Amino acid sequence: MKSNSPSDVYLGELEQQLLLVVLRLGDEAYANPIGDLLAKAAGRVVSRGALYTALERLEQKGCLRSSLGDPLPERGGRARRYFTVTAAGLRGLRQSRRVLLGLWEGLESKLEPSS
Amino acid sequence: MILRPPGVAEQLLARALRASPYRDDILGDLYESYAAVAAAHSIPYARCWYWAHAIRLAARTILRAQPVSSVQPAKEHRMDRLLMDLRFAIRSLVKQPTTTIAIVVTLALGVGANTAVFGVIDALLLRPFTMRNVDRIVMPVSTSPHWSGRRETVSAADFLDWRTSLRGGAIDHLAGMNWWDANLVGRDQPERVLGFFVSPEFFAALDAHAAIGRTFLPEEEITANATRVVLSDGLWRRRFGADPSIVGKSTLIDGAQWLVVGVMPPTFDFPMRAELWGVLSLDEKSARNRSNHYLTVIGRLGDDRTLDEARGELRALSQRLAREHPETNSQLGAEVYTVSRGMADVGVPAVLALWQAAGLFVLLIACANIANLLLARAAEREREMAIRLALGSSRGRVVRGSLLESAMLVVASTPLALAVAWASLRLMRASMPARIVRYIAGWDQMGLDFRTIAVTLTCAAVAALIFGTVPAVQLARGVVSDALKADGRTGAGPGRQRARRVLVVAEIALALPLLVAAMLSISTVTRFLTSWQGYDPNNVLTMRLVLPELRYPDADSRERFTVAALDRLRTMPGAVAVAAGNVLPAIDSNASRAIELAGQPPVDPSKAPRVDYRVVSEQYFEVLRTPLVSGRAFTTADRKGSEAVAIVSEAMARKFWPSGGALDQQIRIANGPWMRVVGICGDIVHDWFDVGTTGSRVPTLYRPIAQAPADTFALAIRTTGDPLSLVNDTRIALAKVDATQPIFDVMTLRQVLNEKTISLRYIATVMGVFAGLAVLLAVLGLYAVMTFLVARRVREIGVRIALGATSHDVVRLTLGQAARLTAVGIAVGFVMAVALGRLMEAGLLGIVSSDIRISAALAAGLGATALFSSYLPARRAASVDPIVALRAE
Repeated sequence: MKSNSPSDVYLGELEQQLLLVVLRLGDEAYANPIGDLLAKAAGRVVSRGALYTALERLEQKGCLRSSLGDPLPERGGRARRYFTVTAAGLRGLRQSRRVLLGLWEGLESKLEPSS
Repeated sequence: MILRPPGVAEQLLARALRASPYRDDILGDLYESYAAVAAAHSIPYARCWYWAHAIRLAARTILRAQPVSSVQPAKEHRMDRLLMDLRFAIRSLVKQPTTTIAIVVTLALGVGANTAVFGVIDALLLRPFTMRNVDRIVMPVSTSPHWSGRRETVSAADFLDWRTSLRGGAIDHLAGMNWWDANLVGRDQPERVLGFFVSPEFFAALDAHAAIGRTFLPEEEITANATRVVLSDGLWRRRFGADPSIVGKSTLIDGAQWLVVGVMPPTFDFPMRAELWGVLSLDEKSARNRSNHYLTVIGRLGDDRTLDEARGELRALSQRLAREHPETNSQLGAEVYTVSRGMADVGVPAVLALWQAAGLFVLLIACANIANLLLARAAEREREMAIRLALGSSRGRVVRGSLLESAMLVVASTPLALAVAWASLRLMRASMPARIVRYIAGWDQMGLDFRTIAVTLTCAAVAALIFGTVPAVQLARGVVSDALKADGRTGAGPGRQRARRVLVVAEIALALPLLVAAMLSISTVTRFLTSWQGYDPNNVLTMRLVLPELRYPDADSRERFTVAALDRLRTMPGAVAVAAGNVLPAIDSNASRAIELAGQPPVDPSKAPRVDYRVVSEQYFEVLRTPLVSGRAFTTADRKGSEAVAIVSEAMARKFWPSGGALDQQIRIANGPWMRVVGICGDIVHDWFDVGTTGSRVPTLYRPIAQAPADTFALAIRTTGDPLSLVNDTRIALAKVDATQPIFDVMTLRQVLNEKTISLRYIATVMGVFAGLAVLLAVLGLYAVMTFLVARRVREIGVRIALGATSHDVVRLTLGQAARLTAVGIAVGFVMAVALGRLMEAGLLGIVSSDIRISAALAAGLGATALFSSYLPARRAASVDPIVALRAE
């Protein structure tokens, strides 16, 4: 059973990356630039369907909040949906980072490229 | 400038996303990206990009669970629920790939076989001709109670009366046609071409027009104008190099100059792929003849007139003619067929009906097999179903899920079924020699088209309904608490077991008749190909010729040709003996005559006994190695002017002189000279259909060719080695006699015999394939069921073994169960097999004799195979380790 309580939210890799991308994009975080930056920074091309599904899921989990902008002619008179990371999302990110850093500790020498 | 994405794609996507709260954002995002992609690449690229994304997004939205809609189950849409069920059905099929593949392949074979048979029926029976408005083209025929069911042709005088009286009535453009073996000389080698003499209205009746030039004019029917021909496109290209100015030129046919007036388009080859049409002109003598029925008549139904009206008019007319000409027409009636029906071979519908029945049997067996597999699967999933029911799923929904699974199986197997049908039809088309194909109207059209595909889908849908219902009903009947309480021995409920047993019994019962039918066909063919039929078909080269009337106008000239040809051929190295005859055994034509016996009171000519009639040269019996029972063979002394002599076959001697003493008796044909019987020869089977219908050999009368020279005859050469190695020498030898005389159908007598049996071999092969499929499916079905039953009874068997049962006992127990199922199936099947055998005897004009011993032997064989297939599961049962079996609890 999925829990909506933000305290024990678990973030998958794609979800973490998405939240980070949204944070980076700031005021310009809507689906198109999110997909583009993800492709550029993480080197992964996520299909649009998967992208929207992931964004929806993050919003349901309470990690993202969305708001509509003004209708734009270059969008056929439709508005953009801008995403912002919520406090719960930030907590989730921090926790993931903590866990990962803790696991990394002491292993740097082993995992550094040997060249 | 703002670039707009493709509107249709956008609307499609908008529809697919209509339930999503993000619909507008998604559409807007894509709109924006579209402009970016178009700027970076090109507009066509961007359009493709948009379409690809729209389709993927739409598909994803439809196929994936929509989180938003599942949050609000109260408003769940009926369609969404169906989609969920569909997804579930697909998933559960994919989860068990082996079963699914087994089902799909079984179904594809069953449905594909039926589609192929329908393809044949459609091409041969339903739409053998491709002319425009083919159902308006009719064939009026004369009928007579004496012509045992065979559709007969029309006499010239009757045809002319019909044409005059019916003009302006229900049938327009009444046209006669008559076979024409045309000998073309032209530019290169002489060639024999299939042509037809046709009335000028023939082309109007078929609504056919010349591609170059014209067809015939009404005045060309007058004998003096009658040397006009129309060429087929193929003949025009082959013999005349597609000469565009051919019209108005003359060409040499049958020794006379004929004026070419037109060339038909490539699609026109009616009837029987004819390549040449000449004017049918009836001279005064034949125009008055009412007793010689040789014309085939076609016509076109008048606008808004029906076949029944045409029948009415023609019957009234034939009654009038019967009154006016009682001596010839008193027994004659008339009937009007559509051209598709009228041109169809008498035996074809029966054979095709047999095939279709066989195909349906196979499909039923396939369905039974699939139902069994689904039942086994349902048993494995019984707990799952029970849990679903317990959690509040409705029974209807569970049943619907099961039916949806069947539907999905059908969808998956349809392309495969079409492939099976396509391949079978191609194989059938490829394996029929072109010489035969021309006599089977529509054979070329066999293939997959819209109609056959529609039949496939119907077939598959019906099949799905058959095999999907059984497990669905079983599921719906299931008692939840029982299944949940069960200790893993699910699927052993009495109801389900009964269903499964009934299915296996049905499979075996259906397989047996097919097996018997196949065996009957095969044994018939074998008998025809290998048994002694009165002559030795090996090492004989045969060919046929037609002497044109203009070049060989009288008996003397024909005899001169025959004698010269035989003399030349006899001196060829490798030729042992050479003979000429109007008809050779197994050839596709025959001749018969009414005879009169000396010393017996003359009878009414229409009731005079008829015998097969052969005109042969001296060495005929030597070439065929047909034994002379008594008397002598013909010699060169039997010539024109010497005493008229005859040889009779044993069957004829027995029939007309039952007390013996046929030798030296006198017989004659019509008002011909009296002939003395000088010899009795062995019987030759010319056509098995005759033997089949009469139950005895056909009486045959032989005359020396010198005393009755024929213009259409065959040559037969007995050779020391391979007959085909003499073909060239033969051509050269005959060209020395007459360089303009073509020969045709050059083949060995063995080949003639093979072609004669080709239709039977076809029947046998198709039935054999069906029977093989049926037996395979039935045996696999039994095997699957026994395996299943054994698996379910492991614990019980373990207990038995623990209590002292030997492995022998266990095998006997399991085999006993299988034997009971098999026995019931065979008992039911045996009854059906006997009935089908009778049906085949009737349908195939008696050439097949159903032998109850064959049925019995096959039943025993099928039983043994079935038991063998159950032996493996039985062995597995016997090797159950009681400790393991009981510990598995």
